[in-house]
Amino acid sequence: MASDLLSIGRSGAQAARIALDVTAQNIANASSDGYVRRSTRLQEVSSSGGIGSIGDVSLSGVRLEGVVRNADLFRQAEVRRTGADAARADAEVAGLENVQAAVEQSNVYNAMVGFEGSLQQLVGDPTSASLRANVIEAARTMVGTFNIAATALDSVGTGLRFEATDGVTQVNTLSGELARVNLRLARAADASSDQTALLDQRDSLLQQLSAFTDVATTINADSTVELRIGGAGGPLMVQGGSAGTLAMTTAGDGTITFAVSGLTAAPAPAALTGGALAGKAQALVKLADVHARLDGLADAMAGAVNTAQAAGITPANAAGQPLFAGGPPFTAASLALSLTDGAGIATAPAGAGANSRDAGNLNALRTALGNADPVGGMDALLFDVSGTVQGRTVTRDALRTIANGAQVSLQAQAGVDLDQEAVNLVRFQQAFQASGKVMQTAKDIFDTLLAIR
Amino acid sequence: MTTISTSTSAFYERSSMDIADLRARAEGMQADLSRGQRIARSSDDPVGASRLRQLSRADSMSQIDIANAAKATTNLQLTDAALGTFADYVTRIQELTTQAANGTMTDAERAGLGAEIAQIRGNMIQLANSRDVEGGALFGGQSAGDAYTTDAAGNAAYAGTGTAGDLPLGDGQNVTRGLTGSEFLSFPAGSASPDLLTALKTLSDALQAGGAAAQQAARDGLSALDQGLDQITTAQTVVGTRLAWVDLTTERRTSLTEMRSNEETTVGGTDIASTVARLQETMTVLEASQASFTKLASLSLFSLLN
Repeated sequence: MASDLLSIGRSGAQAARIALDVTAQNIANASSDGYVRRSTRLQEVSSSGGIGSIGDVSLSGVRLEGVVRNADLFRQAEVRRTGADAARADAEVAGLENVQAAVEQSNVYNAMVGFEGSLQQLVGDPTSASLRANVIEAARTMVGTFNIAATALDSVGTGLRFEATDGVTQVNTLSGELARVNLRLARAADASSDQTALLDQRDSLLQQLSAFTDVATTINADSTVELRIGGAGGPLMVQGGSAGTLAMTTAGDGTITFAVSGLTAAPAPAALTGGALAGKAQALVKLADVHARLDGLADAMAGAVNTAQAAGITPANAAGQPLFAGGPPFTAASLALSLTDGAGIATAPAGAGANSRDAGNLNALRTALGNADPVGGMDALLFDVSGTVQGRTVTRDALRTIANGAQVSLQAQAGVDLDQEAVNLVRFQQAFQASGKVMQTAKDIFDTLLAIR
Repeated sequence: MTTISTSTSAFYERSSMDIADLRARAEGMQADLSRGQRIARSSDDPVGASRLRQLSRADSMSQIDIANAAKATTNLQLTDAALGTFADYVTRIQELTTQAANGTMTDAERAGLGAEIAQIRGNMIQLANSRDVEGGALFGGQSAGDAYTTDAAGNAAYAGTGTAGDLPLGDGQNVTRGLTGSEFLSFPAGSASPDLLTALKTLSDALQAGGAAAQQAARDGLSALDQGLDQITTAQTVVGTRLAWVDLTTERRTSLTEMRSNEETTVGGTDIASTVARLQETMTVLEASQASFTKLASLSLFSLLN
């Protein structure tokens, strides 16, 4: 009989101490971000009898086999995937809402209706100086609102690109960090508390990365991670201890594209489909479209008015001069008022004579405006933008719900349950006390033996 | 045995998400109520917002139509009043001419009547040159100056344009803003005189000249006067019809405005009763989940284990 009661008790007490330590660590980190609940895995220490000692009892207590990290790889991947989708939708909706505000709150539509109304009012009395001044002021307001809308759209674009640049920097920083974690993971001993902490760090970095871009991960046997961005077919970003560099290129119309360099010979283009960077890129595409359509409306409006102006005569019997400057082609930003005096509005058709109250050319102008219908076009543009925002908001809410669900489900599985830890505290405390009792018993036995006389 | 695994942080996260969601919903409804408008941004309801934009465009155009219609009404009323005076003048000249046609009249008496007719004709020319509310010639069409010019001999000639021009009344409807002088003073082709003013000039000149031709001229003048009066009363009818047309479009516009404001309320207004009910429901749920959260959060095994 090779067992040693005292050492068995000691090993039990030691194991209970470690389990208590792990429990305390769990409780302390109950609200730490990215912390995964640990548990101890204990194993019996015993040896089977050798030759000549069959039937011998050889018990040596318990030992700690490892600290287990209760992480579910599938749920973590789900959190990253759904999180990237939600971040993309979030960024896109935020960008689109700004685009909507730029077009809607600049009041272009109301100013266009005001200009249209001022022309209609002028028909009532084409030679009235005050009504003519009213048309000029309405045109000035409209030009101002077009300019404001263009400036607002530009600043939305600048803001989006600035945020995207910051996101690219973050992705590069996080990737570099991940490469360093990979290096240390390759050297860490298996199932040590050092390794579990590194794994926590690895998963947390991956999750942070997924907020910016969609990531595809491959976990190697040594727990290091290989990272591709822009989906499983995307370019390699982190491999072993080296990380690539993500770069952003801005096109002439303000849209952005991404490419990764460093791990491949030539920079590999990255088509991001998730994460905030993808959302910002999508919002910028919509912004470029809205901007082009706004320019088109400004061109249609100014072109129709200037053409009609040229066909008529002013009350002074002079040929009509352009009302708007800055084109053709006119853009929302370049549009400017050329006429500043209401007397320059050509209301009468050519040949009507000086001071004619004939509104023929004014009516032709209104007809031309009615045919080009920039006001209707503006309504359609606003409808398009707001409809897109509404649709994307619904998608965003759905994706957010899914991402929240995945997050909660991961938390539920990997997070710390304080009630369970309270039970564990009691259980391991009792185990510790029981092991103490074993040692007490061993001592009593020895005392008994020593007391024999 | 199935166990529902949950962790402390998951519990807190889920509770905070649920409560924040309920709060946001309640605040959204409260904002709807205090604004009285369901749509704060176009994206809240793109179709409704577009409809509201079109309605407000129609509304602002309708405001201008109202001003135009008022202007047309005033001008037509001015025209109507002037035509009434024209008719009175012509009637008075008819009396004078009837007297002049009487064979017992002496040349001196006829000359007196002729002078009075010439005087009345002068008034008629001034009346034909009266101004409308915008300061333009009431009977001059779209020209800037007077409708009739007189030369040194006293001959009046129409100087205005052929038509008076149209005013838009909205929805593609127009009304001609007035009458031109030539439309009711000129005689049809083939008549003895080109227009009433020329006929009156001929008449008053002949009466003042005296002699045997004067009585005949007075007899001839009567038929021209009949024709002139006919044309003036016809013109009054035309003006009256146009006024009625303006009234009709105004009525139509009023009912359209009512319809629009009704639709604006339906599309963009907050349905107070149902919103308040839903707000109350949300508040009840919010209170319940807050209360249950507090109860659950205070349940800890640590406080029970000693």
